[in-house]
Amino acid sequence: MKLHFTTNHQDHRVALLAALAITIHIIESAFPSPLPGVKPGLANVITLFTFLRYGWQTALQVSLLRVFISSLVLGTFLSPTFLLSLSGALLSLSSLFLLQLPFRQFFLHQYQPSAIGYAVIASVTHMSGQFLVAWYFFIPHPGLFKLLPIFITFAVILGVVSGIITQLLINRIQQR
Amino acid sequence: MLTIGKVIFKATDIIILFAACALTVWLYSIFWFDSTQHGEAETLLVQFADNPPTEYSLSEERVITVEGKIGSSLIEIKQGKARFIHSSCRNQFCVFHGWLSVSGDTAACLPNRISISLKGAFSDYDAIAGSQ
Repeated sequence: MKLHFTTNHQDHRVALLAALAITIHIIESAFPSPLPGVKPGLANVITLFTFLRYGWQTALQVSLLRVFISSLVLGTFLSPTFLLSLSGALLSLSSLFLLQLPFRQFFLHQYQPSAIGYAVIASVTHMSGQFLVAWYFFIPHPGLFKLLPIFITFAVILGVVSGIITQLLINRIQQR
Repeated sequence: MLTIGKVIFKATDIIILFAACALTVWLYSIFWFDSTQHGEAETLLVQFADNPPTEYSLSEERVITVEGKIGSSLIEIKQGKARFIHSSCRNQFCVFHGWLSVSGDTAACLPNRISISLKGAFSDYDAIAGSQ
């Protein structure tokens, strides 16, 4: 039996972006981290770029593909790591979606934040989502909250870094 | 607008960054510098066998007599601390344990099947692992 899929331009775009995000995610997971849970999150540069350029639907597809496929490749599918990754990705994308809603109005459009603002919000909500899931499901102890400020500090710093990278990427592509 | 090299920070970006920094500072202030969260014990829980524990306030100085399986145990509450002062058991481990002062501290008399522990809003211990 032969299966035929017809793919369109959008599918190719999603596949390309997801492949990039998965590659970055897997390379990144090979590096040791100073604190469990703290990662540069460079794969989110791709998600953010997709979100800003192609809209939230495409970003959602790319983000979910990244979470599922890289967990299958890394062998963490359905493990706590996978759940944390999924919850972080979903929460940060929904916050990005909510954040850009008011700026769709034409009178607010000029106040639209750049990639940096979006990246900081995405990074902080990603971290909070992961943290809440970790606290609720895996370590339900109030002492865990002592780590929250440290995590959020890292999230803000790494958010700015990934925002700057995304901004440079967008500038580069617009010059073409 | 703030331009550093090729990167432009828009006004909204700066507001978001400022809010994120404020959130971080606020989190540090509630989770790290709040004195009420240290292992300040508030009550003493006394438990016999599988019965639900009885709570005593630590602010009231008193001596409690609890009837256990083999006899009675005397528990003293003084200056926000608690200890066994007498037990009918042979080993007297519970008495030698001394004062319990931090939330989460526990002492038990196994022969008499009585355990006491201090409770506060937050415990200084995540979990206690022991060996027998």
